[in-house]
Amino acid sequence: MKRFLLIFSGVLVLAIFSQAVAKDWSEIEMQAKGQTVYFNAWGGSQTINEYIQWAARQVQKKYNVRVIHVKVSDISDVVSRILVEKAADKKTNGSVDLMWINGENFKAMKENKLLYGPFSQKLPYYQLVDLENKKTLLYDFTTPVDNMESPWGMAQLVFSYDSKQVKKHPKNMLDLLAFARKNPGRFTYPSIPGFHGTTFIKQVLYELIHDPEVLNQTVVPCDFEKNTQPLWDFLDALHPFLWRKAKVFPTSASQMVSLLNDNEIFISFSFNPNSVSNAIKNGELPDTIRTYIHTKGTIGNAHFVGIPFNSSARQGAMVFANFLLSPEAQARKADPTIWGDPTVLDTQKLVGRDKVLFDAVPKGIATLTPKELGQGLPEPHVSWVQALEKKWLEIYSK
Amino acid sequence: MSLELKNLSILKQGSTIFDPVNLVIKPGEITTIMGPSGCGKSTLLSAVSGNLDKIFSLKGSIRLSGQDMADLPMEKRNIGILFQDDLLFPHMDIGSNLAFAIKEKTSRAQRKTIIDNALKTAGLKGFEKRDPSSLSGGQKARISLLRSLLAKPSALLLDEPFSKLDQTLKAKIRRFVFSQIKKMNIPALLVTHDPMDCPEGGMILNLNKEKG
Amino acid sequence: MSGQAKGRIFPVVVISFFCVTILAGLFGTLLPSLNYLPVIGYTRISLSAWFDFFSYPGIQASFLVTVFSGITASVGVVSLAFLFITFSYGTALWKFFEKILSPVLSIPHAAFAVGFGFLIAPSGWFIRMVSPALTGFTIPPDWIILNDPAGVSLTIALVIKEFPFLIMVTMGALGQLDIKKTLLVGRALGYSKEQIWLKILIPRLYPHLRLSIFAVIAYSLSVVDMAIILGPSSPSSLSVLILKWFNDPDVSFKLLAAAGSLFLFVIVLLSILCVYFMERAVGVFLRPWITNGNRRCFLSPLKPIIFFMGCGTLFFTAVSSVILVIWSLTWQWRFPDFLPTTWTLTFWAKGLMSSFDPVMTTLFTGVASAFIGLLLAIGCLEHEVAAGKTKTRNYTGYLHYFLYLPLLVPQITFMAGIQFFLVIMKLDGYWISLMVSHLLFVLPYMFIALSATYLAFYERVTDQAMLLKRSYIIVLFRVKLPMLIKPILFSFAIGFSVSVAQYIPTMLVGAGRFSTITTEVVSIASGSDRRAIAVYALIQQFLPMVMYAFAIILPKILYYNRKGMQV
Repeated sequence: MKRFLLIFSGVLVLAIFSQAVAKDWSEIEMQAKGQTVYFNAWGGSQTINEYIQWAARQVQKKYNVRVIHVKVSDISDVVSRILVEKAADKKTNGSVDLMWINGENFKAMKENKLLYGPFSQKLPYYQLVDLENKKTLLYDFTTPVDNMESPWGMAQLVFSYDSKQVKKHPKNMLDLLAFARKNPGRFTYPSIPGFHGTTFIKQVLYELIHDPEVLNQTVVPCDFEKNTQPLWDFLDALHPFLWRKAKVFPTSASQMVSLLNDNEIFISFSFNPNSVSNAIKNGELPDTIRTYIHTKGTIGNAHFVGIPFNSSARQGAMVFANFLLSPEAQARKADPTIWGDPTVLDTQKLVGRDKVLFDAVPKGIATLTPKELGQGLPEPHVSWVQALEKKWLEIYSK
Repeated sequence: MSLELKNLSILKQGSTIFDPVNLVIKPGEITTIMGPSGCGKSTLLSAVSGNLDKIFSLKGSIRLSGQDMADLPMEKRNIGILFQDDLLFPHMDIGSNLAFAIKEKTSRAQRKTIIDNALKTAGLKGFEKRDPSSLSGGQKARISLLRSLLAKPSALLLDEPFSKLDQTLKAKIRRFVFSQIKKMNIPALLVTHDPMDCPEGGMILNLNKEKG
Repeated sequence: MSGQAKGRIFPVVVISFFCVTILAGLFGTLLPSLNYLPVIGYTRISLSAWFDFFSYPGIQASFLVTVFSGITASVGVVSLAFLFITFSYGTALWKFFEKILSPVLSIPHAAFAVGFGFLIAPSGWFIRMVSPALTGFTIPPDWIILNDPAGVSLTIALVIKEFPFLIMVTMGALGQLDIKKTLLVGRALGYSKEQIWLKILIPRLYPHLRLSIFAVIAYSLSVVDMAIILGPSSPSSLSVLILKWFNDPDVSFKLLAAAGSLFLFVIVLLSILCVYFMERAVGVFLRPWITNGNRRCFLSPLKPIIFFMGCGTLFFTAVSSVILVIWSLTWQWRFPDFLPTTWTLTFWAKGLMSSFDPVMTTLFTGVASAFIGLLLAIGCLEHEVAAGKTKTRNYTGYLHYFLYLPLLVPQITFMAGIQFFLVIMKLDGYWISLMVSHLLFVLPYMFIALSATYLAFYERVTDQAMLLKRSYIIVLFRVKLPMLIKPILFSFAIGFSVSVAQYIPTMLVGAGRFSTITTEVVSIASGSDRRAIAVYALIQQFLPMVMYAFAIILPKILYYNRKGMQV
């Protein structure tokens, strides 16, 4: 009898709590009606731009929230703007209501108190997010997320290659070095400092470092030399065989796509396992391009959306962020014919119609299966980024 | 050293703009060409100097010291021009303006002497460092002539050179110009519509349009 | 009669506007450079940002590349422009240039850079033309042409892009010299045309071009968009480095960026000062050469080369546009195909639809800022004319010193500072603020384009009209301005194109509320799809061209039966 009462009261509390949460959320939906949300997000890809337009249309129809996509070429411009607004004491009516951010930018914004939150726990669809298996949704570049940003998609470093030119693709960094020696000038990485270039050398470090555990902790300056020596040795050996003999580096990961298309390089890499399939469908890359990862795994992370502290349309922003987490939106996003960005949801938790949506997502022609992709390696502690970038510049930027 | 114009006529779109001109100007002589405005006096001068506009074509011959000028570009003809505007270079002082005209390779000292002498003849001694825009109309006209003559031309053309000067100045400048030409002993061709400009004893030619 | 010429308010307003904005901007950059940026926790003034700047790895190489490409490009384009006028004035080539100048000028820098980059890259069009037939290449060679570390490709692109601008300014200034008569006098003295140009006309022309040459130097040293696309990457030029610092996720880099941008400004100032002193020195040294009586021209053999180079700039500009057109219609285009293997119109369809709103914003802002710029410019010029007549103080004369300020201070250096003040005054995010920020750059170019011709207007006509009508306003609007309609419309078109091309002001002042075609181009250019980039770049290019066409056609329609207006 006692046990029955305990369970009954537990269920009652849960019911009341979820009612309260639901009541909270319906209040937010009410307030969001009629708001205009300025969503600042990178505008360099027409496929992504079109997806955002689609999501905006849905949210207008369903929730009467108007979402305007402010196309930016670099999200740091937006961070700068919010900083200026904070410095000028602009506490309401900020120019940004929702923004697409990740790791490095998130850290700066959280530290400087530029974000509103915690808020993602309020989003109903947040319950479906796969927090157990995708640790990087809780620690963005090892900075605790603390619900200050809402997950949007997953990323993982995948290599791409032209199967017409490369018969046997590399399986690890040493293989890659051998490939470069045999095919000089057909591989490169974007210039440093830069998110993509830095992640490449982080991957090299992962594979060659003596004790990968130190990467999870803050950089210890006196050990830095010793720990990173294999990385610099590798790069010293690689650079003479790089594209343009390492005298010129591509300015962005986007440029590398063009280089691959032009066959200036044979091997490239990106962070969306589906981007190659998507590019093939768009005619941006020929259909001979395929992807692979290294046998020991590659670095993975996630990208998020955040709400600045001074937004006056934060209810609308939350409604939109919630919609972006919905199975409908996530499944469409994961479709390589639309965008191909991997979902943050736990597809095991889905039932009924939602599950069907995901099962129906086609597999991209150049995409690896989830089993092949495996678990992404975690990002190193964020202090490694600055240390690595600084050292790289000292050695290679003469 | 004479300037000879033989059966010189200028055509515009096939028809001549004045009757053929026949002239022989001996060194030191000044021939005046007169006619109403629009009769082609300035065009005749431009033909002789060598920068006839492309819309015109030439018939007849121009000879200077026996040499046919037909194939020579303007800068090689060694024929000087004096305009009604002084056209002194405003960004150079008087001395540099004059030095610009000197053709022979000279040292700085030699140039200075030549310029000094030239200025003396015009009654403008000591004017080398002056700014052209600080000079009066009559002074500018004299410098302009000096410059043309320092280039040692073999002939001189004058395109209504006194029309911008006031009456009292005109007579003075006229006398100066004509005496210098006589001194240099070169043939000169003067174009004007003012009969007072004609030098004494010089030939006058009226430019007429061909009838029909 | 008052002791002041009427219309004094115009130059006073313009000068104040320029001074206040530039000073505010510089001040807003000075403080962070001294480590003062409270919003991210820096409140103690110190020079540590400057130490970090001078010790940044690769900074010397970056500095050298910046100075090399900036100075070489400036010297190159000025020499080319002077030699080009010398050899081609009056020829058919010169007349052709006069006609073709407007469309060439309207091509935005970034669009040209993208096209040009694609021409000269090892996987680019030129190599594709001869591969594999002559070269045997089936994959692109690993040559360093584009983005070369010494900045040569960037320098060449700068010369090609700046050349038409200098020629345009020169054409305006030539009207003030009595070219025909000077050539006659010189030739009568036995000098060839080329010598007269070099010894007499160009020295007289130079003071009119001085400020524009300074603007060219400032631009070449601080250019960002062309440097990103064509310039060296490791290390990049100073301006690109500064931009990277501004955008670094580690916000403390903003202090470094502030110091760097002030240093860049100092470099620009020093270069301009150097050129100014060189001008004096050259004046002294060249005097004996001018008056040495030497009639031989040793530069004559250069004539064909100069013609070739002058035509070369046109050629590259035209072909860069052609290449963009081809890319905009491409579905698939791989090396070494000379033309795409599959064509499509999808990117045009998508591009035209999604660029409609930004294009509207661009049009409104451009027309408004050009129109207001015109009002202010004419107001200032009328004041100058009136001051000349009444021999009172000419305030517009002072304007000339301040006019070039927005062109000489690198945009990065002061725009960030202006953004801060606008946010404090709650003026950010409004269309008026956006338009006014464009005006800051539109006005100098409009003034440069209009002033020479405007001031050369034969005032006897207006004097005569005043005797008949006795109303200044009526005479201005019914006699003088209609007679000047061609230069006015041309100046309007220039102002409009300058507004279209603005990126940093729109970004910072618009606070993300306004998208122009240029913000769209920059954002799509950060991606990889050349086809989409080409469509947007062509739309961006099209807008100013339409305005130039309008400027040429409207007078012809209005005054079709007036021969005197056709000149």
